[in-house]
Formats: sequence, structure tokens, C-alpha cells
Amino acid sequence: MTTDRTTTPAGGSDETRFALSCDGITKAFQGVRAVNGATFDVPEGLITALIGPNGAGKTTVVNILSGSMTCDSGTEHIGGTDVTNWPSYRIARLGLMRTFQLSRELGGLTVLENLLVAAPDQAGESMVNVFFRPSAVRRQERENVARALDILETYGLFHLRDNRASDLSGGQKKLLEISRAVMASPKVLLLDEPMAGVNPALIERIGGYILDLKAAGVTVLMIEHNLNVVERICDHVIVLAEGRTLATGKLSDLRENEEVVQAYLGEVINASTHG
Amino acid sequence: MSNIWYYVFTLVFFLFDYFILAMGLNIQYGETGILNFAYIGFVAVGSYVTGALALPSSVGTGQHYILGLGLPFPVNLLLGGLASCGLAVVVALISLRRLRTDYLAMVLISLSLVLYDICNNFVPLFNGADGLYNVPEPFAGVLKLTTNSFIPFFAAVTGVIAALLWWVMSRITRSPQGRTFRAIRDDEVVAAALGKDVFRNQLKSMLIGSFYAGVGGGLIIQFSGSFNPTAWLPGETFVVFAVLIVGGVGNNVGMLVGSLVVETLLIHLPAFLPAIPGHPGLIEYFDSVLIGILLMAMLWFRPQGIVPERVRRALSLGAPANLVAGRGEAPGGAPARPVPVEIATADAQGEK
Repeated sequence: MTTDRTTTPAGGSDETRFALSCDGITKAFQGVRAVNGATFDVPEGLITALIGPNGAGKTTVVNILSGSMTCDSGTEHIGGTDVTNWPSYRIARLGLMRTFQLSRELGGLTVLENLLVAAPDQAGESMVNVFFRPSAVRRQERENVARALDILETYGLFHLRDNRASDLSGGQKKLLEISRAVMASPKVLLLDEPMAGVNPALIERIGGYILDLKAAGVTVLMIEHNLNVVERICDHVIVLAEGRTLATGKLSDLRENEEVVQAYLGEVINASTHG
Repeated sequence: MSNIWYYVFTLVFFLFDYFILAMGLNIQYGETGILNFAYIGFVAVGSYVTGALALPSSVGTGQHYILGLGLPFPVNLLLGGLASCGLAVVVALISLRRLRTDYLAMVLISLSLVLYDICNNFVPLFNGADGLYNVPEPFAGVLKLTTNSFIPFFAAVTGVIAALLWWVMSRITRSPQGRTFRAIRDDEVVAAALGKDVFRNQLKSMLIGSFYAGVGGGLIIQFSGSFNPTAWLPGETFVVFAVLIVGGVGNNVGMLVGSLVVETLLIHLPAFLPAIPGHPGLIEYFDSVLIGILLMAMLWFRPQGIVPERVRRALSLGAPANLVAGRGEAPGGAPARPVPVEIATADAQGEK
């Protein structure tokens, strides 16, 4: 358990609990240290941004946290359970869902089916139930379909429900990724650049969806380069550089941090003042 | 019964039998994405075990084989299917857990060759290159069928079994289990991230498909009374793949159509054509040429097959009509309620 850490996240109370914690995570790819001792806590019920220059290891950290990749050393805890190097399906079943930087839709399935796959604890995934408890399977399937349609409506994908996911546009695929993760009723949601390559109006919409998720009690950790977005919707920021945690806190405080400005913010601040 | 009916019912038998085989490969490859290039090996195991279980003890028969229990028809067929499942467990534990698509396919091709060499050369197992023969006819003692009446009878039995297996397979592919298989086929990393145990599901799919392979193989040895290595050269796997690709990967009805086109029309029908004078056996060799041409033509002009995979629409998935009708139909997919935050976007792209 890492809840006894002294760091209090910005916007959190004294009794902040951490939904997700990692300690000293390292990962090397043929000698290149992509992650080099990343250590941070993600406060429960808040939106945390994971920022850092390109190559800082942000996506690798998300891959490790979600179990898509194993780490060389370090530990990971979800709500107090040690889940270090668990396979991703077990981590997912604990309530941690993720999206991918480049959308990975299940192209052969329809938009609706993409959501249905994500429904947790489906009776119809057992062969015994399929043949011997068909009514229970059907009943649950109807409930899941109704819920999936509601989610699709919320995310503005309802009219696309019967389209194959591979036919969607880039922005629609981003929405599909998020709505699919929501279908799984996650406790913790890792979003890998949910707004990359998306038009400004859609950025606004996605920002709204993420705030809605927070209001519904979901803990969000998102990789985001758009500091305007981070400033407006994120409660807490983790800066990663060269695979290490450089700083954590509120973005306004981090702007004062010399190291952070040098490593990452500097370029952006200059770019936005000159641009 | 005239000769023509003998031919017709032989064709009907192979139509149904390859329908079963194609459904088995389809659940593995078409639904779950496992490129099983050793499929014919699973067919052969089912065939040999079914045959060897039906045969009496090998002592004094002039053949060498294991088992020899003299079991009655549906029992030995069922066990033949299960033997094939046993092979699937071994293969899955060795290779499925560690290898992905292309590498798995290579290992499975090798496995197919190894199995072939063992069965072809290790005589005590299934009589080596001679294979099993004189396998007792099903229901011989009860029905007292002649050779001529046996063929239509067994074609009908195979048809019934195929219909039953089709019903079972449709239930599976239509269920959430089938959807999970297809999710793994489309992207196993995503499926795992959504909480699906990829290996467990692949193993299930391998077991189901292998059972179909084993039953399809068992029916062949029961139909013809013999089975030897010339019947299952490793390349035969690609005939089943051709059935899939021509019929339509991911669609069970497509398997029946593919079986009709590839197996019945292209492979078995030419064998009944009169030989070209001076070139005996030439016609049989046209099979592979025709299949090759057909495969290329299909992949070029109609890669989804004659009967493409179904798009499973909301209403067919059990969505009540009133839930689907009349909501969220705004063009452009505008959200149904206002979005609360306001994010300045003018300089949002500043960093780029």
C-alpha cells in the first residue's frame, strides 16, 4: 500500500486515496532505458495528466500500468492490490481500462459490438451457459445492448451503431475507444493522448466527457500534450522526463519549477508566446 | 442403383463432410484468427482414431494399429473428435501461448509434416504408408446394407451430423463467446485490455475446431472404409482454406457454398470425368491448378467470399425496437446534451 505517502495531490484533501500507484518502474528496450524508475501515485476520483517531452516514456508507462507490457523492475498497485506484471486481462478485470494512442478499433465488429465486447462478466462467454442457460444469456445481452446504446448516444455515435468500426473516421475512432472503455465500467481509466489529431470542436467535447467521467467517480490518468486542456480539466499533473518522474503537482506550480520548464514547458511556453 | 447415383451420393457426402471441416477451420481462423496450417493433421488424427476404434484387435488382420476395440459407430466417431481435441491441447500448450500469427503458422506447418512423417513411417501406430483399411461399415450388423445402399445412407447420416454441427456452431458464433473470438481475431491486445483471457479463448476455439476436424475425418474413414497418408498430404490443409476463402471467411453458410464450389465441383467432379486418352490421371492434376486460379480470382475480385461475414445489427442482437427507433439520429453525431467545459482552442495547437 502506498496510501501513507506524504505527498498530497493538488486539489485533493488530506485523506486522499490513490487509485493507482507505481514505484521505481524500469523498462529497457535492448539497452535503451525507456522508463527509468518512474514513481508516482494517481489520486482517486481526480483527473491526472501525465506530461513530458516526446520519448519520456509516457506511453511505455501506460503500457506497463495496463499490463500490455511487463516491466523489468518496480511495483504497481491498484487500490492496494499488488498487480506488478499481471497480464492485462487480469488488470482490466480489476477495473483498469485503457485507450490507445493510435486508435485500435475492432475493425470487423460493428460499433455496437465493439462496446458489447467490453461488457464485464458476460454469462454468454461460457459455452455451458450458451447451450444450457440461453435465457440468462439473452437477458444479460439485452441489458448490455440497452446500456451500450445509451453510451453510444451520449458519445454521439448512436447513428453509427451498425457500421463496421473500421469504417469510422479518426475522430469517431477516438470516441469509440473512450466509449468502449466506459462500457466496461472502469474504476481507473488510462487515456493515451485522447485528443491527439482531433479537431478543436471535438477536443472540447472529449474534454467534457472526461469531466463527466470524473463526476461519475472514475479516476482518470491521461497523457496529454495540450497544456490548455491540462490546465482546464486536470487536477493533478505528473511530469515524466527521461523515464523518471521529474515533478508532480498542479500545473500552475509546475510552471514555476525550473527543471520542469527546462525539460518540457519551456518550449511550449515560448511557442505559445511567440506563436 | 445406377452408377450415376453412386457418383452423386459420393459428391453429396463430400459436400457435407467438407462443410463440417470448413466450419471447424472457420471457428479457428475465420472467427478467432488462428492460422492453423496443420488443420489436415487434426483431420487425420480424427480419422485414424475413429477407424482404429471401429476395427477389431489387430492380431491376425494383417494390419498393425493401436486401439482396435471394435466400438460401434457414433461412439468411435465421438472419440475420434475428442482425440483431435487432445492434439489441440498439446499444440496449444506448446505453441499458442508463445507464438503469434505468422510464427504460429510456421510451427503448425512443421507440425503437420512431423505428424505426417510419423504416421507414414511408424507402422505400429496406424499401419504406416498402407494406412487403415477394411474398417467395418457403420450399422453393418443392424441394417445389412449393400455397397450400393450404404453410400446414399451414409451421405444422409453425414448430412444429419452436419446439420447438427451447423446448429451448434451457429449458437456459438452468435453468442457473446463468438463475439469475443472475433474481438481476439481483430486485435488481441485490445481484447486483453478489455479483460479477455486471450489464451483461454484461443484454446477454446482450437478445441471446438479440432473436434469438427476430427469428426469430419472420422466420417471419411467410415465412408470409404480406408484411410492412408496419401489422403492427407500437408497441402490438403489449403483445400480447406480454399473452401473458407471462396465461401466467405466468418460465415457458416459460406462454408456450405465454399464446400460445394471447391470440394464438390472442383475436386471430386473432375475425378468422374472420362480420362483424356494417352494421359491417364491428368484430369486429377487439374484440381490444384483450378483451385489456385480460383483462389487468386477470389482474393482479387471478391476477398470477402461468395457469402461475406454478416454485419450483426443492433436489432438482431436483441435491442428492443423502441430503443433503436427515433433517437440520436441527428446527422453528424451531435451529442445529445450540451458539453459543459469550454476549452480555448486557438492556441491549443501552439506546441505543435
